[in-house]
Amino acid sequence: MLDIRPLTEFFESEMTEGFLELLLKMMRLTFQFDEKFRRNIEGFKGRYLFRSRDGQLTVSTVFANGEMEVGEDLIDAPNITITFKDDKALMGFLLAPRPDILGAVLRQDVVLKGNLNYLYKFAYMAKRLQLMATCQA
Amino acid sequence: MATITLPDIELSDCNLDTMPMLAKLRTQVMGSRAEVCVERARHITTYLRDLADPNEPQILRYAKAVRCFLSNKAPRFFDGNLLAGTTTSKRFGAPVYPELTGLTIWPELDTMSTREKNPQKLTPEEAEELNLRIFPYWMDRSVLEVTRHRFGNTEAMDLMARIVFFIGSKAGTISHTVPWYRVAMEQGLDWIIAQAAAKEHVLRAQNRSENADAIAFYQAVQEALTGLITYAANLGRFAALLAASESDEDRKKQLQIMADVCGQVPAGAARNFREAINALWLLQVGIHAESINMAMSPGRLDQVLYPWYRRDIDGGNLTVKEALELVGCLWLKLNDNTNLVPETAEELFGGSGTVPAVTLGGIDCDGEDAVNDLTYVMLRATELLKTRDPSVNARYHRGKNRREYVRRVAEVVANTKAVPAFYNDLVAIRTLENQGVATEHARDYAIIGCVELAASGRSYDASSSIILNLVSALELALFGGKRPVTGDDQIGPATGDPSTFTAFEDFWRAFETQLAWVIGRAIELNEQMGHVHQDVMPTPFLSSLFQGPMDKGKDLIFGGALYNSSGATHVGFADTVDSLNAIEQAIFVDRTCTFGELLDALKTDFQNAEKLHAYLVFKTPKFGTDHPAAARNAQRLVDFLYATYQSHTNYRGGKYRPAFWTMTNHAGQGKLAGALPNGRKAHRVFASGITPASQAAGDLAACLHSVGSLDYRHIPGGVAFNLKYPALEGDEDLDRFVGAIDGYFQAGGLHIQFNLMSYETLIDAKARPEAYPDLLVRVSGYSAYFRDLNEAMKDEIITRTAYSLREGQAVAFPVDHRDLLPFD
Repeated sequence: MLDIRPLTEFFESEMTEGFLELLLKMMRLTFQFDEKFRRNIEGFKGRYLFRSRDGQLTVSTVFANGEMEVGEDLIDAPNITITFKDDKALMGFLLAPRPDILGAVLRQDVVLKGNLNYLYKFAYMAKRLQLMATCQA
Repeated sequence: MATITLPDIELSDCNLDTMPMLAKLRTQVMGSRAEVCVERARHITTYLRDLADPNEPQILRYAKAVRCFLSNKAPRFFDGNLLAGTTTSKRFGAPVYPELTGLTIWPELDTMSTREKNPQKLTPEEAEELNLRIFPYWMDRSVLEVTRHRFGNTEAMDLMARIVFFIGSKAGTISHTVPWYRVAMEQGLDWIIAQAAAKEHVLRAQNRSENADAIAFYQAVQEALTGLITYAANLGRFAALLAASESDEDRKKQLQIMADVCGQVPAGAARNFREAINALWLLQVGIHAESINMAMSPGRLDQVLYPWYRRDIDGGNLTVKEALELVGCLWLKLNDNTNLVPETAEELFGGSGTVPAVTLGGIDCDGEDAVNDLTYVMLRATELLKTRDPSVNARYHRGKNRREYVRRVAEVVANTKAVPAFYNDLVAIRTLENQGVATEHARDYAIIGCVELAASGRSYDASSSIILNLVSALELALFGGKRPVTGDDQIGPATGDPSTFTAFEDFWRAFETQLAWVIGRAIELNEQMGHVHQDVMPTPFLSSLFQGPMDKGKDLIFGGALYNSSGATHVGFADTVDSLNAIEQAIFVDRTCTFGELLDALKTDFQNAEKLHAYLVFKTPKFGTDHPAAARNAQRLVDFLYATYQSHTNYRGGKYRPAFWTMTNHAGQGKLAGALPNGRKAHRVFASGITPASQAAGDLAACLHSVGSLDYRHIPGGVAFNLKYPALEGDEDLDRFVGAIDGYFQAGGLHIQFNLMSYETLIDAKARPEAYPDLLVRVSGYSAYFRDLNEAMKDEIITRTAYSLREGQAVAFPVDHRDLLPFD
């Protein structure tokens, strides 16, 4: 049984710093240990690039062959690039109970470039992980 | 010209007490909770992914997918409705169209059943099916993403992504049209299939490569229509099975009749009124197997269904009450589906139905009074049921329609508080003729969705192609190509710092430059998505129900209809006009402030500029007041939009048609815009449609004259003019009500619709929604239940100017709630 207490504690706190790294780490672990969750990426190929607006953070996530790989380098031909103002903005965009997507887009807190359907899928997986971590799934 | 034979056009003996079946059905419909239905997405996806022949033309593959869905569609009988067929497998279903924007609900699959605003129930099993088996196939295949892949992340695509400039609706819908049901009902689908087969045979015999597209089209028509015939046959068999085990004799009899009806239509010709009305409903179901359920409008049903009605009544085979029950059943069936709406979109568009518009009255193709007994039956159904859909519209020809007709429509408005809307036949017909529509076709116009004009079954108008925010162009002109809401990004052309402008004309030119630029981007994207629709989502089923495609061998999406156009509607008309008026008056006439001072005031939302704010609100010309400057600027804007759009030809060979109806976009876009020169504060709602800004036009006659005096030949896409009266009480009020409509139409007005409710009622309905569960309101074209609207939209309807019919003046807005007003 995967211990997702760090994620649970994170979601239940007011913290946002390090949100993306923790989310991706827990997502990758959950794919490894939770067969049901792993079905989300069976046969799925997707290349995601997350970048902070200040350029301090670059995280790539590649789904292929039923696995999820996380890196810190730029990748070629991402399906979608998500540039975000800070962790709080990204967390609010993906996981807030009533995500302020309009506000995030308008304020350019989150800028999307590429195929939005890949974002929708990622947002679903992140939301599911959140629900699992908070015992709602 | 039809003769009115009803002894009582009000049909006062027919009510929900004397028609308990309708009463029960209505209660069930009003109590239904929306559920997501994946049935269509499942079969369309399965066919295209696993069964389709990749070597076949896309139109044929898609038609076969539609046939696959319809052939496998579950026959459902949820209630005691007399009509067979359902849009979805749920009692009140939201079908998923993954080809369009269905994937936007992906992040919400686990939560949309319980979200706060307008939840849509989704079972865990269906959520899993969407997540694992349906959505993955469409990730690179939806219209928007195919467009992006083919044309790249263009400037137009980026601009749409910013939300506040325009919406390119083709990512989510074309639909928005009025099919021609009569041939399918008079002859049956078997006959249309035979016609298509014969034409295919002739073309094949010619053995010419240039016939390939037409051959594929005729094949596709046969495939798609066969699907609906199979569905009807399945319905009939299932109805017979249910009848066999039914213990209630009345229900058993109705199920047996439905089994017989489905054995005849839509494959064969409708032989009586019941078969005709059920055939029409099944055709509507069939169309939605192919095209999304947005504003697919049945049209002039009092004309389309009248031959069967007359024949059955005259033959003693139908009573008026039975006809009313069947019409009521159709009205309720039109409420059996809703749109799939993600939570974010609820903020901008929440509360709308699917807006299938029904059009009544007016004149016929020969120019004679078209009002008939069935018109009154349909008005009575509307009056009794008070449902959100269908969106009922009453045509009114002042020279031909009788006084008793317009008075009866007015009574229905008085009793429903909101519907129908009125249309001026003289102006609507002239407007369509000006677009090249033949007179006999223009006379047969019907309303699409909210307010758009269509030459019934002859024109393919894609009337909701573009929703463009006029205030975005105004702000770009004010800030040299930037908007406060999008920060420091240079969005539009650099048209200069307005504080250096020496004349109002300088600002007009900057405004026109920005507006033309935004329009250009919107049209560019619409054209791209139109071409993608041609490749991805052809519509052979729908095409077979139009005049043109079957003769030309060409799908609607390729220009098969007799007439083609694309609609572009505009948000923020009155606020933009009033802001232009204010700039002219304040800076260049009165010289009350400099442009720089005005811009500073806008940036701070009029903080520390109270005096200037009061001047802008109360001393500058307002659209709706008959002020000459306001009238001039309003018409100038209308003319500019008309000239700009009409200079473009769309991918189907038609013109772009500007319009002014806003659904709930004026509330959503208003929330996202800064302060404006007319004194509207930041993040307040805009005025709706073509309606003057709330509380800006105090005199009713001037308001009607001002709006009615616009040149509607230059607004061929249609307008929504929303007017509010606190109440209609007694015959004198009704006379005044009709008189005001007459006056407005005499001035040249095209459309008008009403909310008959006071400020106090609406304020209370917002505070205590549980006390007003069925309160029906007109939004800006369509009807909605007030409880379903978002907060901004509720505020906009509350603050709309209410006029006293007796005094002809605006009623004072409650002092305690002035904070709701856009300028307070």
